[in-house]
Amino acid sequence: MQLLESTSVELYNPQRKSIMEKLSILTDAAKYDVACTSSGVERAGNGRDMGNCKAAGICHSFSSDGRCISLLKILMSNECVYDCKYCANRRSNDIERATFTPDEICELTINFYKRNYIEGLFLSSGIVNNPSYTMELLYVTLYKLRHEYRFRGYIHVKGIPGADAALIRQTGYLADRMSVNLELPTAESLERLAPNKHRKTILTPMRQIQNGIEQGKNELALYKNAPTFVPAGQSTQMIIGATPESDYQIMSVAEGLYDKFGLKRVFYSAYVGINEDKELPAPQTASPLLREHRLYQADWLLRFYRFRVDELLSEKRPNFNILLDPKCDWALRHLEQFPVEINKADYSMLLRVPGVGVKSAQRICKARRSGVLCFDDLKKMGVVLKRALYFITCGGRMMYNTKLDEDYITRNLLSAQEKLPFDKDGITYKQLSLFDCVGQL
Amino acid sequence: MANETVLICEDSLDGVFTGIYEAYRFKKDNAVESHDLIHLAVKEPSAQRLFTDYINIETSPEKAAKVSRTLKKSLGETTYHNLCLAASATFEEKADAVYHTVVLGLKEHDANVLDRLYDSYVQSAFKCYRAAGNEANHFIEFTRFSELDNGILYAKISAKHHVLPFVMYHFADRLPANNFVIYDEAAQTFGLHPSFKAWYLAQGMNFDENSINYSDTEKEYQELFKRFCSSIAIEERKNLSLQQSLLPLRFRPNMTEFHV
Repeated sequence: MQLLESTSVELYNPQRKSIMEKLSILTDAAKYDVACTSSGVERAGNGRDMGNCKAAGICHSFSSDGRCISLLKILMSNECVYDCKYCANRRSNDIERATFTPDEICELTINFYKRNYIEGLFLSSGIVNNPSYTMELLYVTLYKLRHEYRFRGYIHVKGIPGADAALIRQTGYLADRMSVNLELPTAESLERLAPNKHRKTILTPMRQIQNGIEQGKNELALYKNAPTFVPAGQSTQMIIGATPESDYQIMSVAEGLYDKFGLKRVFYSAYVGINEDKELPAPQTASPLLREHRLYQADWLLRFYRFRVDELLSEKRPNFNILLDPKCDWALRHLEQFPVEINKADYSMLLRVPGVGVKSAQRICKARRSGVLCFDDLKKMGVVLKRALYFITCGGRMMYNTKLDEDYITRNLLSAQEKLPFDKDGITYKQLSLFDCVGQL
Repeated sequence: MANETVLICEDSLDGVFTGIYEAYRFKKDNAVESHDLIHLAVKEPSAQRLFTDYINIETSPEKAAKVSRTLKKSLGETTYHNLCLAASATFEEKADAVYHTVVLGLKEHDANVLDRLYDSYVQSAFKCYRAAGNEANHFIEFTRFSELDNGILYAKISAKHHVLPFVMYHFADRLPANNFVIYDEAAQTFGLHPSFKAWYLAQGMNFDENSINYSDTEKEYQELFKRFCSSIAIEERKNLSLQQSLLPLRFRPNMTEFHV
């Protein structure tokens, strides 16, 4: 080796990769992870160290696919001993591999953070050697970042299924949010596509984190300065469209996770074909973006609008309507509950009116305590009247002379056209609707 | 019909608050029946109306401080903060909206006066503080610092509303140890934060952007971040119109990742 160096022969050496190369490889490897939010924890600066956190989260930029860039989302390493069929980093793929050192990650985080490029760090990793070894790498990085670099910004770290419980616990005290990926909605799909992962090894750390958060809250109540464990809660993500589950199955899993595991967020990731495999959809299949969009809308309904999955879908109607958002769809099937009087209806009913969001429902409730609202006031509060007008009255009157008839309202809502986050560029709405219909026919 | 009076105050927080002070005093001194006959404006109207008196008000920090003390005490910190945001907006009706909202809040002893969205003055105050608040949030997100050779972090923004103080407040909490400067090009105002000291605003400084020397590593970190932004995007999901609606073009000239 020394001989080679002295004659300055440059052989391939992975240690020689520049930071720039590593960043490209490990960002590219992390890009399919969707959980890039910095919300859930409010932590003011301490007047000495760098960093604070805002409960609402802060997006710093938006990439050309329109997704937010909030955290420095990277893998520690894209070396992986597993061979999950859907994953770009699987063992059997011949791709360039790289590994960051903890110090490189810390330097990048601090320097990006002080230039206000990012809100913090999102650290995940392929499985290097074994789960516990990988978790330890993540722990060491976080420890350095928190204690040597004295960073108080947001940190989201992955819990590696199958890692030692003590390591997950110690890491939890350094991170704001932890997530363990569910990967696929059902155990059967997981077995088929990720032979090295098992439902049980995924749910065990999830339960452990949940218990840790619970216990942490109790300790905080007793001792003010007790260290906080995963204060922003835990999240998970599922890949949508790689396996044949229905929306009903997916939403039921999500509801179960919110109810039983106390999760803060469940993310849905439309499958992008990267690998060719007989178990997977063909690589050129369009990503089910509209389906992903509907799932997120329904997810919002579960978390903020007091809906239950059984109200939205059933065994008989297992998939969302592709033409209407889930809330409009529900309202049209329950016209007997409308119209709603804005000045009287309770908060949870206001939330169910299409065109009324959480903020406007709250504003309505506060404003009507000391006055009477009319349609013009609603508009200024941010209610989307072109959708709400079929479902509400103000002072006993509808806005226009509209009929409370399902076909009539559907026709009008469709002509008003829902604003979808994607249309002309890339994958079109039409292509998707054709594709999605197949299951329903 | 009684004559209406319009008090014209300076377009600044102190200016608007002085205006509120003077309006109350004007009402008392002249035994005006109702606040409805008094209005505030931040600039001379293009055409003066009949039966209306126009009076120019000189800004006084002492009077403004009295008003801000009263508001904090009677309406609470949150409402006070939102009223300040509303006063920082660049809408012409802002001064009148803030003034009449204050009148309503003090009359009803209601700290949550901004919730009374059926009132037209509260509605326009709401419009003002929502617009200014949204813009302040945008600059908290999109401001980009560069490191100079003396270690100072420098950022340039171009704001529609006068939101620099709110942005400075955020970064002073976040980066207490750093010397940093944010320059609002539109208002020609600097926000300066010396390490571990209180931040302040300054105007009328001589400043040539071309004479800035960046630190040795600055270029590298900018390139690293640009690379990060391009490799994080998923080509199959490319959606430039969504990107543009979330990150409007007007912010991009001052953002590192959009520099060619």
